[in-house]
Amino acid sequence: MNMLPGPAQAAAIGLSVALPLLLLCYARIAATGGSGRRFRLGCITVLALYAIACLALPGQRRYDDVLGGLFLLATAMMFFYILFSLLAWGFTLTLLTALVKAGRPLTLEQWAVAYMQGGDLGTFTHNRLKLLVGAGMVITADGRLAPTAKGVAVARLVKFVRLSTGLG
Amino acid sequence: MSFVVGFLAAVTFALLAPALQLMARARGWSLGAVTLLAIAAILTHGLGVMLGILVVPQFQYWDAASIFGFCVMGYVFAFGAVYKSVSLDILLSLIDRPGRRAPLSEIVERQVPDLFQGRIRNLVDGGLVEPVDSHFAATSAGRTMAGRVGQLRRAFGIGDTSLYDFSE
Repeated sequence: MNMLPGPAQAAAIGLSVALPLLLLCYARIAATGGSGRRFRLGCITVLALYAIACLALPGQRRYDDVLGGLFLLATAMMFFYILFSLLAWGFTLTLLTALVKAGRPLTLEQWAVAYMQGGDLGTFTHNRLKLLVGAGMVITADGRLAPTAKGVAVARLVKFVRLSTGLG
Repeated sequence: MSFVVGFLAAVTFALLAPALQLMARARGWSLGAVTLLAIAAILTHGLGVMLGILVVPQFQYWDAASIFGFCVMGYVFAFGAVYKSVSLDILLSLIDRPGRRAPLSEIVERQVPDLFQGRIRNLVDGGLVEPVDSHFAATSAGRTMAGRVGQLRRAFGIGDTSLYDFSE
């Protein structure tokens, strides 16, 4: 068994480790925008650096080495995206941080207000609905919500994924 | 050939992971969904490496690990997307209603508060929050976790609202 990665794979492993460090650096540059945009920028940067590494590294590139490196890089991007999205958009985590930030025990209603930083659950609902409406999955008319054909297809896919991953 | 071994290990993971989730629910195991995914990944990765050593004369560990990591992380990504998504819960509830329509007010006044209470139960069950009379207070474990989350959010320049920013 050969445990040594190829040159391109080694570059991909290095860039995978560098991705969170890059995100930390981008967080200090205001021009890089919000969380989502910064993450996309981080991914584009490491992909560009990987392409440069594949061209610049000495010796002839092997197809399996480059492909393996791409898989490793994509794995790292998905892994960090899962952690990053939990930090940025995690509902349960933010509930906890809002309660701790309040500094005293809260009733359910007070907790909802603290979570929404003065807003209410309606603001939260509209924010989540904006995602569904913006993606063309749901339409609103006369104060009622209805799924589009795309929404129905996505819902079926979600049910299939839930079933096949054992979530039921 | 090493890529094939890695892919076979990933297929085994895709079969073992849902089986573990179903068994955990049926037998009332206290292990969380993410812990079960980690167990399945470690087991199948070990099996893949053993298979590679046995059947491939020049087994390239990183070729196998790259495709295994990519497929497993893709699975975890899909799992995470459908596991506890508020937006998808709203979409699925629309699909399951007669006529596939719902008043917006019902989502705001009933479904989202139910989701809110469900997440609070998760925090209480996880020992991060405790009910005190009619109030809720963070436990010391909850305060520690919230502190760490706050540090990470500040380091990565992430806000603490958990709302999607559509201006990006």
